[in-house]
Amino acid sequence: MNLLESLKIALSSIWNHKVRSVLTMLGIIIGVAAVIIIVAIGQGARKQLTDQMFATDKNAIDIYYEYMPKEGEEGMYWQEPQLTTEDIQTLAEVPGVKAVVGINHAGGQVVYSDTQGDLQITGVGSEYFTAKKIKIVEGRPFYAADTDGLNRAILIDTAARKKFFKETENPIGSIVDINGNPFKVVGVYQSPVPEQYRSSEGELLMPRTVVSMMFGNMEIEQLSVIASDSEKISETGRLAADTLTMKKKLEDGRYTTQNFEEYEAELNKTITLLTLLIGSIAGISLLVGGIGVMNIMLVSVTERTREIGLRKAIGATRARILLQFLIESATLTSLGGMIGIGLASVATILVTKFSPIGAAMNPLIVLIGVSFSALIGIIFGILPANKASKLSPIDALRYE
Amino acid sequence: MIKLTNITKIYGKGDLEVPVLHGIDLTVEDGEFIAIMGPSGSGKSTLMNIIGFLDYPTAGTFELNGEPIGSAKERVLARLRNEHIGFVFQQFFMFPRDNAIKNVASPLIYAGVSKRERTERAKQLLDKVGLGDRMKHLPSELSGGQKQRVAIARALVNNPSILLADEPTGALDSKTSEQIMELFTQLNAEGKTVILVTHEEEIAAYANRIITIKDGLIIDDRRER
Repeated sequence: MNLLESLKIALSSIWNHKVRSVLTMLGIIIGVAAVIIIVAIGQGARKQLTDQMFATDKNAIDIYYEYMPKEGEEGMYWQEPQLTTEDIQTLAEVPGVKAVVGINHAGGQVVYSDTQGDLQITGVGSEYFTAKKIKIVEGRPFYAADTDGLNRAILIDTAARKKFFKETENPIGSIVDINGNPFKVVGVYQSPVPEQYRSSEGELLMPRTVVSMMFGNMEIEQLSVIASDSEKISETGRLAADTLTMKKKLEDGRYTTQNFEEYEAELNKTITLLTLLIGSIAGISLLVGGIGVMNIMLVSVTERTREIGLRKAIGATRARILLQFLIESATLTSLGGMIGIGLASVATILVTKFSPIGAAMNPLIVLIGVSFSALIGIIFGILPANKASKLSPIDALRYE
Repeated sequence: MIKLTNITKIYGKGDLEVPVLHGIDLTVEDGEFIAIMGPSGSGKSTLMNIIGFLDYPTAGTFELNGEPIGSAKERVLARLRNEHIGFVFQQFFMFPRDNAIKNVASPLIYAGVSKRERTERAKQLLDKVGLGDRMKHLPSELSGGQKQRVAIARALVNNPSILLADEPTGALDSKTSEQIMELFTQLNAEGKTVILVTHEEEIAAYANRIITIKDGLIIDDRRER
């Protein structure tokens, strides 16, 4: 009852000084809103980056060549060992390996009737389709014969189909021109690459042997191993890399894998650090806001010296006056905190709507925001409230 | 009943000591109407503050209804003020944003009285002081005399035995002063002890005992009628 009464007095006092109260709360509002928005965006960004990293395949790990010459034999240039379909077959037998994918990349100018465009070309083998779970919309995938026999066949993705062919037209069997060479469309596939990272022009698949021959690059530029157990991905990858190093009898280099876990940990660390950094700036703004509250409360105590004197004369104890001012400053900052949370949720919704980051408000952080702002009110209210409670009623009443 | 024995009050410390009261002996019986007079600086306000538990004496004993108030704690003094004393000030001292009812009811908050009863009692007392038609008015909407009536109603609301008035008519014109003094006379007739501090002879004339203070000592104590 007593507390409720004090809360009512506090609220009416805040209401009586609307402009001043809002201005005082501003520091707290900005501080709380900033903390919550930053944490929400930080979490959203972390989720997005993690999703992106594993967008293609959670079980896949890339194996790449690392040049490691002996002392005194360092050369400016080195030859990366050539990888072939045979190597892929060897790696496929390594325990824990579910599939192996070898691809290379190129780009070419594609012409069909009167349409033309620059398309990304991915050179693949027959294993690519099963390993990457490529969805064939029309026609067929590549078979081993396509790669081995240097078959001039291509698969186009749905975007390229839309660009070059009419909806009613059957693209299968059509001959398109790529950099002046005729290719036969054997299928249409759904690209596994997430839409926002895909070229709008479209892309196409070609046997990697044909890419190698036509563009002069290596048959396998990017080798990835798909593990049957995602938990053992690093282990399986390392085993596959070592197997390959041994098979190739390499002397001045080796095959190795990317360490996803390390990468992810590093990324998390960076984001945490950033969140912490900006969070501490927001914390400083809360501190400054708290000092502002203290300042205004001190002014308020001075202004209301007579009121305090009168309250004491009619029977308010020192503790009651202390409590009244503490509640007033805590109410002020809590209100600021709530407004800050309101602003933050609006900002979070806007960020989610207009940027790729799916910012997520954490209910825990909301709770912490309100309690923290109330705490700031109490901490920074102590000095003014104490000053008020210590006023002698006679001096207070005589105050002009 | 209030009994003061050899009360002294010294402000400041060491070289800066300012003695204000030099040993006051005073007994106030229940139902008395006392005026304390004296020139400014005589110590009459200090004496009133001590009687009203707003200040405590440097030395001497203070008895309320036969019980000594020793070096009472601040919390105890606050309660004594709340229960036994009703203050009326020259400057009225209102809560400017609260209406008449809330102003009158304010001491009851600290007495722990429920809101409904607070409002009830405040309304009764506003009726009693003749402001039944001004209950919802803010202090700024009231005249000086009306404000002082609100203040008197507030002083009475927790049913104290003593009314302490410090120059209650100091800010009022003579006609209004007369009305306020008549109100005090009426309240005294109803049994309240009234102690008022004034330097005006006409106001002091309403009392039936006039105490004159000079330089911190009672130099005259006469009963009228």
